[in-house]
Amino acid sequence: MIPRVTVRRLVPQLRPGVASLRFKTTSASKDEIGHFQELAPTWWDVNGSQRILHLMNNSRLDFIQRIIRQSVKVEDPDTYIPGFQYKAFFPQQVSQGIEDDLDSKINEKLKDAQFNVLDIGCGGGILAECLARLPITRHVTGVDLTPDVIKVAREHSAKDPALSGKLEYRLQALEEVEGTYDLVTCFEMLEHVDVPAEILRHAWMRLKPQGILFLSTINRDFISWFTTIFMGEYVLKVVPKGTHHLTKYIKSSEIKEWFQENEPHTHKILDTKGVMYRPFNGWAEHDCPDIGNYFMAIKKLN
Amino acid sequence: MLARSAIVRKYALRKLASTATATPKLTDVLIVGGGPAGLTLAAALKSTPRLQHLKTTLVDASDLMGKVAPFYDSPPENFTNRVVSLTPPSKSFIETKAGARMLEDRIQPYDGMYVTDGLTNATLNMEKDSMAYMVEILNIQSSLLKRLEELNLPSESLQLMDNTKVASIEYSDPEDTTSWPIVTLDNGEVFKTRLLVGADGFNSPVRKFSDIQSRGWFYNRFGVVATMKLEYPPYKLRGWQRFLPTGPIAHLALPDDNATLVWSTTEPLSRLLREITPEQFTGLVNAAFVLEDSDLKYFYRQLEKGTISNEKLLEDINFRTEQVYDSLENDDLIDEIYPPRVKSILGPSRARFPLKMFHADTYCKDRIALVGDAAHATHPLAGQGLNMGQGDVEALIKALEKASMRGHDIGSLLSLQPFWAERYPINNMLLGMTDKLHKIYGTDFAPIVALRSLGVSIMNKVGPLKNLISGTLSDSGK
Repeated sequence: MIPRVTVRRLVPQLRPGVASLRFKTTSASKDEIGHFQELAPTWWDVNGSQRILHLMNNSRLDFIQRIIRQSVKVEDPDTYIPGFQYKAFFPQQVSQGIEDDLDSKINEKLKDAQFNVLDIGCGGGILAECLARLPITRHVTGVDLTPDVIKVAREHSAKDPALSGKLEYRLQALEEVEGTYDLVTCFEMLEHVDVPAEILRHAWMRLKPQGILFLSTINRDFISWFTTIFMGEYVLKVVPKGTHHLTKYIKSSEIKEWFQENEPHTHKILDTKGVMYRPFNGWAEHDCPDIGNYFMAIKKLN
Repeated sequence: MLARSAIVRKYALRKLASTATATPKLTDVLIVGGGPAGLTLAAALKSTPRLQHLKTTLVDASDLMGKVAPFYDSPPENFTNRVVSLTPPSKSFIETKAGARMLEDRIQPYDGMYVTDGLTNATLNMEKDSMAYMVEILNIQSSLLKRLEELNLPSESLQLMDNTKVASIEYSDPEDTTSWPIVTLDNGEVFKTRLLVGADGFNSPVRKFSDIQSRGWFYNRFGVVATMKLEYPPYKLRGWQRFLPTGPIAHLALPDDNATLVWSTTEPLSRLLREITPEQFTGLVNAAFVLEDSDLKYFYRQLEKGTISNEKLLEDINFRTEQVYDSLENDDLIDEIYPPRVKSILGPSRARFPLKMFHADTYCKDRIALVGDAAHATHPLAGQGLNMGQGDVEALIKALEKASMRGHDIGSLLSLQPFWAERYPINNMLLGMTDKLHKIYGTDFAPIVALRSLGVSIMNKVGPLKNLISGTLSDSGK
């Protein structure tokens, strides 16, 4: 039995105002767009209002890279593939050597990967730029609904010649996006839209078979309210006020249930990790994805 | 005729100027300064798989290829006078991460430091196998140049420009301090760089451009260096340091019967030490490790007035030294508590430089990183200066590796912050420690002298405390 109540949370009733705004089910509310419009000018100031997001981006990229690298199978018989806890049994130099060897083999395999990536809710392009610089990506498309942040994203990416031809930003609703992608990312975005289920549905449609969807959002619980809203926005003031709304948060179990219900045999959850912010120390992954912020990687099966 | 040639010249000049500013060459990392820090950074960048792809340009004002590089294949017989103490982590970084092989037969590992108080003879005897290595700076530089040469990289990957100075630096967008800096060189070439690294020493032009403040003070003391020949190879391979009230004098071992000297002293005395004859200098060095401060003061006075002949001075020093030797319990102690006697110093090897303590407020801004002496300057008494620079380079490489792996722009502040977050506290600790030591030993005020001597005597007897100090010195604070 699927608990209908929680699933329904992902599909709230369309508010009349939202529907008339753009007539798009994947749209964001006027308030949300207005909020990010205000943040646009300081988006790339790493010591400014978005610092915590810049720091979180490090964890996102580590998560993405780890998932992608784990999905690479090294078949070369000469490469020793270490088992559980090998670091505890080998001296540091040996385990380092094993790691380096495996690392270079994976790099070799990934060299020709050349993924096409869709970044949904790209904002000022914090994640999209980094993805575009990775040697494993061919092209990154970032979409967002806030005109000013797209402008900021475009201006910022124009400063780096290494990005030319690899990165494109569009002011576009997700349902208008065409084509399919090897990787679809949707980070810190689901909690800002009115109908997250529609985002999931469309994101999934844009994913090639064997592609991976990366998403992250925040569990709807007391801890999340305490950390992201009370501490983040009001006490430590590391997050701009009005960024988060507890009611829009989504539990990791709800995402899993949505996939169980809608894509029962065509998805595989590769990993779910909780992430927490440690003041002065950046973000760290942990193994409790039911609390606070979390990352998820879901693979599309044939 | 004259007018025409003037016009032609004017036109030609304008053309030159316009080509110079037309299209800057793009580079990922532009390193200003080819000292040990700058060269280590270049070699490490090109030897690190994740960073190899970065286009690197190194600019240095001196004749690196003509004067420094040949040292590796045809080193001079005598040791050069710029010798540094390299800690094991620094040495292993140069060898493993930068991939350079220094000339081993010109490196002297030493197994401890024997530190005495010039006023009370309170002693700290630190013993640690291969505590550090004495290496000529030219050995480090030339081996890194050799490494870069052996990598045989195309000029799109690495461009080394010696005999070249930075003429000007400006942001490509003057309004935007995150825009790529444009560096104009005095040979007319222009580079636009993703990351500008200042490895350009104490008077760093890059630091000035960055507007990063460097704070500190001059000690009003000078370091006098010289290369020495010993009467016999040392019985114990260790560094000897004696804190005279005018500053510490250090005798550090080089292979065989060679050694190097760093004598920190007051401005007038440093001038005197450079002006006296090599024989007089040799005599004074031998005296400085054995005789009392009042004896030394007497010799300084005599030398200043020029009222003492070479023979008389040496005779007097020998006489007084023998007196001190005779007062020892047995003759074996001579080799135990005094460094081997100096036979002569190499003629042109005497040089002096001002001593100071400076620390930059930060080591990075958007597009800019400072390493080595550009970020900090220290008194040589603890032998940490070069090692702090190597530590900076190691941390910078680590930060860039991480940033590159995550797809960050390696010139962005976000990529560079971990580098200075790692280095600043360690360097600050080492700078502070060295500064305090200088101050505690810079006085002859009796209560302080008594306290410091008591402190040193206690430290010398408490093993763990002593190991902590020798560990800090040989690990550069890691």
